[in-house]
Amino acid sequence: MTVSLYQSGVSGLLAAQQQLATTGHNIANVNTEGYNRQRAEQNASVGQVSGSNYIGAGTYIQDITRIYDQFSYKEQLINQSNLGSADSLHARLTQLDQVMSTSGNAVATSLEQFYQALNGVADNPNDSGLRSIVLTQAQTLSNDFNELNNNFEQMAKSVNGEIEQVASKISEISVELAKINETILHSQGSNQAGQPNDLLDKRDQLISELSKYTRVNTIVDPNGVMTVMVGQGTTLVAGITPLTIEVKAGDPDALQTELRLVGPNSSVAIAGDKLGGSLAASFEFRDEHLSKTRSEMDRLAMAISATLNDSQASGLDLNAKQGANIFTDINTTAMQQGRVSAPSSNGGSLVSQVNITDVSLLPTDQFEVRLTGGNFIMTNLTNQTTTNLGAPGGAGTVHATPFGFEFIEVNAGPISADDSFIITPTKNSAALMDVTLTDGSAIAASTAVEVTPSTNNVSDGKIDITSVSDPEAARTYTTVTNSGLTVDVYESAANTFTYRVYNSATPPPAAPITTGTYASGGSATVDLPPLPLVAAFQIQISGDLVGSGTNARETFTIGDAFGVGNGNNAVAMAKTQEQGVTDGNKETFSQSLGTTTAKVGSKASNAELVADTAQALYTQAYNRNQATSGVNLDEEAANLLRFQQAYQAASQIISTANTIFDTILAAIR
Amino acid sequence: MRVSTAQFYRQSALQMSSKSSDVNEQMAYLSSGKRVLTAKDDAVQFGTLAGYKESLVNIEKYQRNITQAVSHNSLQEIVFADAENILNNIRDVMLQANNGAMSDEDLQTLAKQTRNSFEQLLDLANSQNANGAYIFSGYQTEQQPFSQQSDGSVNYSGDTGVRELQVAKNIKIATNQTGDAAFMTVTNAIGDFSANYTTNTSGVAVESANVTNRNTYNTSAMPHDYTFTFGPGAADLNVLDSGGANVFATATYVAGQTISFDGIDVTLSGNPLPGDSFTISEQEEISVFATINDAIAWMEQSSVSTNQEQHQVDYNTVLTQLNSAMSHITSRRVDSGIRLQVLDSQENRHLDAELSLTSGKANIEDLDFAKAIAEFEQSKIALQASQQTFSKVQGLSLFNYI
Repeated sequence: MTVSLYQSGVSGLLAAQQQLATTGHNIANVNTEGYNRQRAEQNASVGQVSGSNYIGAGTYIQDITRIYDQFSYKEQLINQSNLGSADSLHARLTQLDQVMSTSGNAVATSLEQFYQALNGVADNPNDSGLRSIVLTQAQTLSNDFNELNNNFEQMAKSVNGEIEQVASKISEISVELAKINETILHSQGSNQAGQPNDLLDKRDQLISELSKYTRVNTIVDPNGVMTVMVGQGTTLVAGITPLTIEVKAGDPDALQTELRLVGPNSSVAIAGDKLGGSLAASFEFRDEHLSKTRSEMDRLAMAISATLNDSQASGLDLNAKQGANIFTDINTTAMQQGRVSAPSSNGGSLVSQVNITDVSLLPTDQFEVRLTGGNFIMTNLTNQTTTNLGAPGGAGTVHATPFGFEFIEVNAGPISADDSFIITPTKNSAALMDVTLTDGSAIAASTAVEVTPSTNNVSDGKIDITSVSDPEAARTYTTVTNSGLTVDVYESAANTFTYRVYNSATPPPAAPITTGTYASGGSATVDLPPLPLVAAFQIQISGDLVGSGTNARETFTIGDAFGVGNGNNAVAMAKTQEQGVTDGNKETFSQSLGTTTAKVGSKASNAELVADTAQALYTQAYNRNQATSGVNLDEEAANLLRFQQAYQAASQIISTANTIFDTILAAIR
Repeated sequence: MRVSTAQFYRQSALQMSSKSSDVNEQMAYLSSGKRVLTAKDDAVQFGTLAGYKESLVNIEKYQRNITQAVSHNSLQEIVFADAENILNNIRDVMLQANNGAMSDEDLQTLAKQTRNSFEQLLDLANSQNANGAYIFSGYQTEQQPFSQQSDGSVNYSGDTGVRELQVAKNIKIATNQTGDAAFMTVTNAIGDFSANYTTNTSGVAVESANVTNRNTYNTSAMPHDYTFTFGPGAADLNVLDSGGANVFATATYVAGQTISFDGIDVTLSGNPLPGDSFTISEQEEISVFATINDAIAWMEQSSVSTNQEQHQVDYNTVLTQLNSAMSHITSRRVDSGIRLQVLDSQENRHLDAELSLTSGKANIEDLDFAKAIAEFEQSKIALQASQQTFSKVQGLSLFNYI
């Protein structure tokens, strides 16, 4: 009897000790990340039969378990992945938003100032000071584009850096997880009943960390070994075998790095953007948002260069020469070749390039040209629409597209079936934008030719010069080849107007240069000089130029307009500021810039909302999980007191048993 | 709900950091005075904002152009006003000179005075602006537009270029009138022809000579010179073209009747006598300088002239042409004036647009300070509250009582 009292006392003492130790462990780990509070499960020992009764035999600690709810834990994991993705995307987009609002704004400002300077030249075309200001402003504008591009490049680089870091972090975690799996497996092997709680915590902690980077799924087998899957079910840790994630240079674009899952004797590509977590956010940002914004800015740089170079080319500079390019030509061989990249997997050796023909039609998408069934099939990689560009035709073949660019075969190939080419029509435009004009007097402020109506004209109607492709030739043609050109028009039959263009020095009956008719309400467009010569400029005759008879037609003369005080081409150049150019002549340059900036801003503010929501959801999940598994110091303090008292009481039992024993001993002494 | 210690600390930290980030954000808005710092702050309105800014930039450009156009046009307007005065003077002198009481010396003095006026006018026509550019030479702004030849006539060596500046999206306004249009192409007071009198005993003069049917006129003999001969009969008139063909013949000429031939209508003043003869040749425009030269020649020739009838006809021709020149210059001046008026109204329109755009822009972009400060205070109090609760609650621990 006494012995059993001793036993009960000692068992209570031991149980209280373990309880105290567990409480102490909980208190000590109050700040340990990923720690789940533990509890010693105490049971009453089965009593001894004494006569007809069971007499209690004390207590024992059955198990020390961690308070762990796998459902709330998994909920927390999922939310952690979402939070990682949303947070990372938010941070990146906010950065891009700031870049666009500062560097992008710098572009807007320098664009304004450039046009302001150009407008100054329109007003005072012979002021060499104003002319050189235009070039300085042009330089500032191109520098701002270069700077913006540098910013983009820097961001792409830092994203790539992060991808690499995260990949190596994931690989480390993978190795670590495999090790823990192994340890758990071994500890399970022996005859231990209890769980290795702290190892399990450690493993869950690693999974938590992993879930920031990717979406994670886990399966635990009866032996306690965990299989870890990332993304859409790609196994990262298979039992005790860790796989690692490696970053490989992209093909054809080395900077579009790709992920590969590397095992002991395998290596598989995995889609980074489908992994979930911050890794997917990095890929999404780099390949979608950043590249879209970049190509929009590239297109803007290209549109500005092309538009100004074109209008410069239709005028004459102070030395009566055709205006040379202000900005780098958008179709240099280097630029054309840079727009196409071919994957190394191509079987053939066809080299191709892309020539821009119309900036207004140019989309900001990427295209893939693939030789399928003997034809080049071009796929828009954004919306997957396809265009048949026809069969390959050997070196120099030009394949026109409806998107303002041409795909050109440079060499004879050969080309194999399924060879593909990635086309980025806007590539490098902002990076390579530069001012090529060095002399202010080379700004083509003057127009070459102009139309003067005769004062004897009686009807409404006009002749406009619609385009000048070669102002020098146009001027020579009107002043040297001919002594001024005369255009006369009259109503030759009801509602039909007949025009003649002739050398003013040799009027009809000498043969005119060209003649034609147009209907009332319509117009006639005449290339001068006409075919077979190369046209230097184009006029448009419009309106009902009735005239007063066959012999008294409405006449217009086209003559030389060059002069140092002629700023009309500069006026036309300055007007391009208000003209719609990009997106099918709909958006002006600054609208285009504004749209791009607004798009980024809206993505960033959207990302902020998503990040806020993800944060709230994560906090909820975290709180739920903590409510079950977290350590509460007050609770532990109470437990501490409770188990301390239990310990003291158990000691008292032993002391009582001792007293009883002593009493008995004294009785027999 | 059970709250773990870590959870309590994490939650408090999270809340305080979100509150202090709120306060920080409000501070950025307050210190910049803008509610849209980056596109993210109001992505929806950002496009509109960019549109407002672009329109404002354009308006600024137009206003600069208007200033320039105003200064160019008003300079020309002033020149035209001066030219009007000079022509007025010359006409006064001309009226004064047509007085039988004038002696030869007087006439020579008047002629000299007119010559001075001529030089003044020439100088005006060669005016330069602040940048040293000739204002009447079209595009050839470095080329002096008018130069007097040894025979006293004036040549125009500018061109017909008219510079235009954009003063609104679809409005361009000319900033100059060419010297050609200003001084050279004055409508001939008679019409499309000028007369050269060979024999004039009656004081007959061409009152008007106009092309009425160009279709016919253009097919007639070139050059378009016609010789009018009266007589031998009292009412005989024959008109020969430059090829010698008789294009008009009548034996019943009545004074004042319209003589029509080759698509031309001619009316004469005075009662022609047989033997009178003159030729007309095509001249639609006469320059201001040529008219003044004619006036000077008329004054200088006065004393040597014997044919008083012809002298009076010449006087009338010069005076009507002078009047025509004056009204031409006035019309040029009006032209500049109208442009100035257009520019003025355009500028007002821009100012109105600017006002509405600026307020539209401010509505989107500018901070409502009252609201912002209220929000700032609110966030500050919230931050303070969370800090205080944290410091109060975190001290509560059962361990304090053991």
